[in-house]
Amino acid sequence: MARIAGVNIPPNKRVEISLRYIYGIGPAKAAEICQKLSIPAERRTNQLSDEEILRIRELIDREYRVEGDLRREVAMNIKRLMDLGCYRGLRHRRGLPVRGQRTHTNARTRKGKAVAIAGKKKVTK
Amino acid sequence: MARSVWKGPFVDGYLLGKADAARASGRNEIIKIWSRRSTILPQFVGLTFGVYNGHKFLPVQVTENMVGHKFGEFSPTRTFTGHAADKKAKRG
Repeated sequence: MARIAGVNIPPNKRVEISLRYIYGIGPAKAAEICQKLSIPAERRTNQLSDEEILRIRELIDREYRVEGDLRREVAMNIKRLMDLGCYRGLRHRRGLPVRGQRTHTNARTRKGKAVAIAGKKKVTK
Repeated sequence: MARSVWKGPFVDGYLLGKADAARASGRNEIIKIWSRRSTILPQFVGLTFGVYNGHKFLPVQVTENMVGHKFGEFSPTRTFTGHAADKKAKRG
């Protein structure tokens, strides 16, 4: 079992895949890490030697911003927009789409689950 | 897509003159502008602009953080505050 960058314990998958369980490491960075440390693509996480795990850990610590640090950075960026009073900040405050998408329909990811309007009559056939 | 770097930030030219004049006069007057599309430059920091939103001039005190944004971002053009029955909606 490998523990990299805090809480992540990716199981018996290929290294390139299991690294993506870390917040902040996606397909591109996972591939980059494997390439830099010359880990063969078919190697599984549980077949890594202790030394290789150590090297992965060091590389991530040194060159990438992951997990808590990254989350904090994103939260800070959003907070900056909200404190500034600019349009994007207002949209964040109200929980609406920030980048000009339509809100007449859709936008459910930002607005949350649809709520029924009180007192609206259902159409009966 | 982001704007090409070699062009530099977009600003309507007459704003530079207005800003200089305001600086020189020393009084902290609101500079009325219609140019919502202009980028806020470092030399505007500390001045107060009245940015037109199609209805009136909203005062915008420019701070360091605002550099790089556009004037229009700080002067909302719509007034929707939520539906009558929607208790959760609050003013932004």
